[in-house]
Formats: sequence, structure tokens, C-alpha cells
Amino acid sequence: MTSKETAAAWHVDKDLFDAYANGRLTPSRVMAVDAHLQACAVCRAAVPLDASWLDRSWSRVNEAVLAVRPSRVERALGNVGIPEHRVRLLAATPALRWSWLLATAAVLAFGVAAAYTGQAGARTTLLLFLVFAPVLPVLAVATAYGPPADPMHEITSATPTAGPSLVLWRAAAVVGVSMAMGAVAAVLLPGPGWWAAAWLLPAFLLCVSTLALATVLPLAAAAAVFGGLWLFVVGGVAIAGSPVQPLFGPVTQVGYLAAAFVATTVLTVRRRRLDPGETR
Amino acid sequence: MTQDSSDAELLRAVAAEDMEALHLLHGRHAPWLRLRLTRRCADPDVVDAAIQDTFVAIWRDARRYRETRADPAAWIWTIAIRRLVGNLRGPGHRWVGGIPEQDIETVPSAEDLVLLRVEHGDLGEALDRLSPELRAVIQATAIDGLTVKEAARCLGVAEGTAKTRLMRARARLRELLA
Repeated sequence: MTSKETAAAWHVDKDLFDAYANGRLTPSRVMAVDAHLQACAVCRAAVPLDASWLDRSWSRVNEAVLAVRPSRVERALGNVGIPEHRVRLLAATPALRWSWLLATAAVLAFGVAAAYTGQAGARTTLLLFLVFAPVLPVLAVATAYGPPADPMHEITSATPTAGPSLVLWRAAAVVGVSMAMGAVAAVLLPGPGWWAAAWLLPAFLLCVSTLALATVLPLAAAAAVFGGLWLFVVGGVAIAGSPVQPLFGPVTQVGYLAAAFVATTVLTVRRRRLDPGETR
Repeated sequence: MTQDSSDAELLRAVAAEDMEALHLLHGRHAPWLRLRLTRRCADPDVVDAAIQDTFVAIWRDARRYRETRADPAAWIWTIAIRRLVGNLRGPGHRWVGGIPEQDIETVPSAEDLVLLRVEHGDLGEALDRLSPELRAVIQATAIDGLTVKEAARCLGVAEGTAKTRLMRARARLRELLA
């Protein structure tokens, strides 16, 4: 029905609008006004206007429309039970994410590819993998956020969310992803099955120690210290020609676990000092 | 897009993500939606939320509007009344919050035609003499454009009860008008 068909019949005047709004009409007249408003554009336009209400209503609509809709990753994380503001925090830095994600993937892919192309060198490649894999999550933690990588770090460190929880949430996200990628690469490698998991405990130890040391040094420096130490010791052993396997054997694994426990304790006690935005 | 653009043109522009068109639609339709919704729900916050949801829904679903099948105002009203009922029933009852699945018919029902002339006829008196629960069913279906199922949820009765009441209301109106 168009307004033309009903235009001639009658229109709602101001008194009728008042009576309608204040509930002073009989039910049948309420229905008549309802049905007429539905059909008559002239009367719809004549409804008394509250400009300030209209502005407020529009600003809320505008806000809701412009609000960024959560991405698929965010919705998936939300479904796992992580609170919404944490999800936003983890997903908010896509520009930073790609650099270390691609770097980690490239290093691992290179290692796996090398292991398959040269069978003679397969043992060496496997050793190289075991040497380098634990360092990757540390590098990821150190380079994903903080002064050199994150142009927003000064602004971020001035917010109330800055501090230990921010670093730990981000580190957890980065370590989670790079550990998962490492695990995939380890499974693809030729060699005894348990080696596929042998690097996990050293990697965990290195990450926790780095975070613990980051309570004293800047995060990147802490990562350099422990990453370098690991490469120096294990790489040195490998280059010297001694067998590297004992470094991943049962006894040393227990040692790693104990050290990780100590580092976790240090990190827990000194967690208030954890703030990668600061130079010390 | 200007004040003179028709609702259908504005909806097409909104479908092409034109914010100004949505603003014009809001300015044109929010006042009467507020007036009618306030008659159905005394809580201004719920009404405001329903209106906000309505325009957000229009922004997202404007491309689903089919010009040939429904008057834009009727289409917008259907969204608004469903949002209001959905909000009233609480977050656990979002069943009625969405866009209507099929566009409502442009051709007015017999009830609409009669109601438009209610001002000067016997029908007004007949409607006033109808018992409140029968009148509520007529209101929800004929005026608000809800389906019988939705009307039943809105009134808090079983679907069968709403159907029975609608039939009784029609019979009673025929009787009163005879």
C-alpha cells in the first residue's frame, strides 16, 4: 500500500499523536493509528521529533556499525574460553605476527627439506634441528614484541595493561604457535620417534629462563644471553665432534626440568619487574 | 543521497555501505518506530536498544531487502518489532531477533484494509468490545505483522492457544459487526 491510496482518507494530527503516545486512546483507535502509520509516509514524517534523542540514537547506531567485527581467529579463541579482552589483545597485532611466523616456518621448512635431500647428511641435519629448534621459541618471544619490533611499544607501556600479564599473554601466544610449528617439523623429520619431542623441554627451559632474566635485562638481551649460551654449549659440543645425544638423553632432560622449575620460581617471585618496554 | 531519495533508493545505498544513507533512513524512521514501540514496551532503554539493533541489522542485511515484495517501512517495522520482542524475551530467546525469512506481502490483508477505515466504522466499537486477550492477538498479527507463532511467544501462550484465540477473535468480530 502506498501513501497515495490512503492520503485522501485522514491523517494523524498532533492531538491524536499526543493521545496515542500517552495511552489515552481506545484500543481500536490505537490499532487504527498503528495501521495508518504503517501505510502513510506523510504521517510517519509528522511524528513529533526529539532531536537530542535522535542524535543520541544515531551515535549509538553509528558506533555499533563502525565497530570492528571479531575475526575468525578471535571467535575461535573466544570459543576456547579465553576472555574477550585477552582475545583482542592477542589478535590485535597482525602486522607483527607475520614476521616471526614466516621466519620460524622458513627455518623449520629448510631443516626438514635438508634432512630429506641429503641422506648422508641426515644425521647432521637432525642434530642441527635439535640444536636450533629450542632457540626458535625464544627468538620468537624476544622479537615479536618490545622496542625493536613493536613501533607501538611506548604507547603500550603507558597503558594500565602493560606489565607482566601483557608480556606473559603475548609470550604464551607466540610460544604456543612456534612450539606447534616445531612439533610439526619434528614429526616430519626422519629418525627415531622420541627425538621428535626431545627439543620440547630445552625449549621450555630457554623460554622460562629468558623471561626470568628479562626481569633484570631487556627482553631482547635476555633472549640473546640464553639463546647464545645454548648455541655456544650445544653447538660447540656438536662441532667438537662429540655426540650430542647425551644432551637430549633422559638424565639431562630431568636436569632441564629442574632448571625450568627454578627459572619459573624466579619468574614468579620477580614478576613485578617484568616489563619489556623499559630499558634498564 | 538526499532527503528526497525514496526509502528503496536509500536501502540500495545502504547495501552499498553508504553511511550517509543509513543516517537519512535513521532520521526518517527512528521517530515513528520509537513512538510505536513505546506503546508496546514502557521501558525506554529496551525500546532504544531495539531501535539501535534494527538499524545495525539494516546496515548488515539491506541487500536482502526485495523492492518488489515489501514496502520499505513495513520491512523496517518487521525488523524492529522482532528485535523488541527478542530483547524482551532475553538473550536466551533470540529466536525472533532476526530478519524475516520471507518478505512480508505488500498487498494489505483484509484486516489492514478494514482497520484503516476503523475511524469511521462500526469496527472500532467492535474492537473495543473484544476481550483484551483476543484483541492482543489481532494486534500482534494484523497490526504488528508477527506470525501466529511469534505472536504466541510474544504473548507468552502456546502456539495452539494463539491460533484458537485468533479464530475466536475473528468469529467474535463477525458476530459484533453482524
